[in-house]
Amino acid sequence: MSIPPSNAPEMLTFNLLFKTLPLTPRAGTLAHHSGATIQTPHYLGITSRGAIPHISQDNFRKHTAIHGVYVALEDFIEKLPQQTPPLYHLSAPAHESSLRNFIALPKETLLVLGPRRAPPVPCPAANTNSAISILTSVGFRQISSQDYAAAAERLRPDIVVGMADIPFGQEVIGVKRKDKMSDRTELWMRDIISKKSGLDKTVKKEDAMPSYDIFAPILPVSRELQSWYLEHLVDDMVDEISGLAIYDAQLLDELPSELQHIPRLSFDFPTSPQKLLYQISLGMDLFTIPFIAEATDAGIALDFSFPPPSVSDTPFEKTSLGVDMWLATHSASLAPLSINCSCYACTKHHRAYIRHLLSAKEMLGWVLIQLHNHAIMDAFFAGIRDSIASNTFEDDCKAFEAFYEVDLPEKTGQGPRVRGYQFKSTGPGEGKKNPPAYRMLDDPKESLSEALTPDENADASDLERIGFAEAEDKGR
Amino acid sequence: MAPVAMPSALTYELLAKCSVTKARAAILHLPHGPVPLPIFMPVATQASLKGLTPEQLEETGCRLCLNNTYHLGLKPGQATLDAIGGAHKFQSWPHNILTDSGGFQMVSLLKLAKVAEEGVRFLSPHDGSPMLLTPEHSISLQNSIGSDIIMQLDDVIATTSPDLARMEEAMERSVRWLDRCIAAHKYPERQNLFCIIQGGLDLNLRRQCTKEMVARDTPGIAIGGLSGGEAKDEYCRVVDACTSLLPEKKPRYVMGVGYPEDLIVSIALGADMFDCVWPTRTARFGNAVTANGVLNLRNAAFSGDFSSIEEGCQCVCCRPKEDGGLGITKAYIYHVTAKETAGAHLLTIHNVHYLLSLMKSARTAIMEDRYPSFVKEFFRKLYDDKSKFPEWAVTALKGVGVDLLGD
Repeated sequence: MSIPPSNAPEMLTFNLLFKTLPLTPRAGTLAHHSGATIQTPHYLGITSRGAIPHISQDNFRKHTAIHGVYVALEDFIEKLPQQTPPLYHLSAPAHESSLRNFIALPKETLLVLGPRRAPPVPCPAANTNSAISILTSVGFRQISSQDYAAAAERLRPDIVVGMADIPFGQEVIGVKRKDKMSDRTELWMRDIISKKSGLDKTVKKEDAMPSYDIFAPILPVSRELQSWYLEHLVDDMVDEISGLAIYDAQLLDELPSELQHIPRLSFDFPTSPQKLLYQISLGMDLFTIPFIAEATDAGIALDFSFPPPSVSDTPFEKTSLGVDMWLATHSASLAPLSINCSCYACTKHHRAYIRHLLSAKEMLGWVLIQLHNHAIMDAFFAGIRDSIASNTFEDDCKAFEAFYEVDLPEKTGQGPRVRGYQFKSTGPGEGKKNPPAYRMLDDPKESLSEALTPDENADASDLERIGFAEAEDKGR
Repeated sequence: MAPVAMPSALTYELLAKCSVTKARAAILHLPHGPVPLPIFMPVATQASLKGLTPEQLEETGCRLCLNNTYHLGLKPGQATLDAIGGAHKFQSWPHNILTDSGGFQMVSLLKLAKVAEEGVRFLSPHDGSPMLLTPEHSISLQNSIGSDIIMQLDDVIATTSPDLARMEEAMERSVRWLDRCIAAHKYPERQNLFCIIQGGLDLNLRRQCTKEMVARDTPGIAIGGLSGGEAKDEYCRVVDACTSLLPEKKPRYVMGVGYPEDLIVSIALGADMFDCVWPTRTARFGNAVTANGVLNLRNAAFSGDFSSIEEGCQCVCCRPKEDGGLGITKAYIYHVTAKETAGAHLLTIHNVHYLLSLMKSARTAIMEDRYPSFVKEFFRKLYDDKSKFPEWAVTALKGVGVDLLGD
């Protein structure tokens, strides 16, 4: 069931392991001619400015098994259109992507480009008929559909996700606004498709540049409200699209049959493994999962597997989905983050060190937890694929829900410094997002001279007793 | 009242001496493996080198890094270090570690630190409660850390202090504290205690201190109290005066020195070991250390510069992807600096690699007895014009027979 785009060499193929009915889990293989192959269901690593947060490119190669990444154009275009973004000046050999080279992404890793970060920061200005609001490193701006299509052509990711008109952050969306969403999104899909087709016509078939595949957005509104858009996707554009970007997993129930066979990428961000499993049960293939990095920043090492460990009798208490590495109980623990985990953090380091790194606010703490959390997700998805292949998915999901708690543990410790693109500003007078790193001790001098000090023969344990070593742990 | 010669857990194997300058090339055999001298030691203050995994640090070529006793004493604390079995195991670092005494941090980080004969009095940075760090505490902590090289607690005051009497007191106290450190040191057979020569910028005090310290026969010798804002030619005079009095068969460590030109000149003056937070700290501000000087990659001029951080550099960031590297460009560092920590990690790798490979080239030059021409070449690359050569370097190098301004 492969899908060769009509007017380009075959780029992306998607083969399902076996025929599946709508609204059932499915397993398959997504292969790009560049060499990237992803067994689905799987996830794309979410990047920030070209890197998975905390993971430098060398660690990405050595210590992750991430097969695909999601990159947001808004991370790269700064003052477009007033100023040409620096990246646009980078030329790449005919068969390479300048974006891939710029961010030093290995050629075997699938590169998916979308307009906005996942999850996007809501913007104050509304989208227009020709442009969406975005947040670049220089502030809130807009990018037009034409500029977005041009960016895809210039940067040549493996897959580009079509621009969708979605008013992020808006609680209630009126019916008229929803009408507009599908009208605009259709228009913008036509823009990006015609840009790509135009590109192909100017080049002779045999030395055609590697092109990109287009994923069409499916809007988070009911099928009725986007029926025109969906009809036109099926009638006019189906040959040009290689996949779907789905903003509401419930829509999997209402997809036209002509769009059933192509891969589905979820932007309906699951907030827990259980919610992710639910989307898979509806037939989702690919995910972007913000909770991985959110757990990392909170100092939580994910700790779950699929199917769950078998237990002779149901555990009295449900097992936690993660370990809070801020807890003082890990202070002297030589245990890995998760037993049986073979990631770099678990094989080379122990909880005591990682707990220390968090408490000392050393960057390496988040590096190690991030590597671990991605490894846990790799194993989780491998377990899911096996389970689908052996037709035990439904039972395994039930066992998972019975075994684990519903939510990830609450964050107790402090995260790394947050950046402007990670939160929505609430306007004037808001508090500082990052506590000050340093403060002076201005206690009166007298307390020093009056103080009792240990005698000369005291050893360091006396020092410790008065607080040199462990005082800061008392409260935890 | 110098105690009897203490055991040593190192071997200093002298390989070559420059026939012109006082530069030396050697192998220092330490409990966790040999390290080449001269050497730059990156500073992993809190048992972690600023976001790098021990494996990444190892790949820069590093085999000896620093931990700070003061920081490890606060976190994770001595009890944890004892429970885990020392800092090597704690941070999974299979190579050598050097720890300072903790005294310097007291004085430099804490507003209200007071030095008395029994030790350094200070207020806890956590709750403001008063504490005392004695030579015995410091050594006990360093014994728990298990570092391969440990430093005596010394009385550090700014070299720029005009108070000669206080300076003399500090120098003499440092000698007395060394004796207390030697007496308190539990594992001389596996941890090497280095003395620290004090005496400010007064060469007589320095010579007197050197004599006293050398008599204690520690496995290695450090020159301390420098790099505190003194004029560079005064710094050079002190290093030169001290190394002239030091035994040939012992490693010499100049504390807190880290600019490339300082290292190159100090090697010519007979120093072997250096440490500084500058290369790693400056990396986090987007500064790349290169043979042609420091590049501030946050400058918009680099936003569209798609060349490697430093051409020909063999670090994993700079090597092109065809050679198994990452092919990171200046423009990409510009793109991520101060926005994603991964950018800081990449530049930290480059900067540490730069200094380690600079030391390697210096060492090769000494072995091939062409250190003077190496020094000239280094300064020519760093400054595009001879008129820009720093005067202190010209003077110091002239003192050891190198005419930087000549051909």
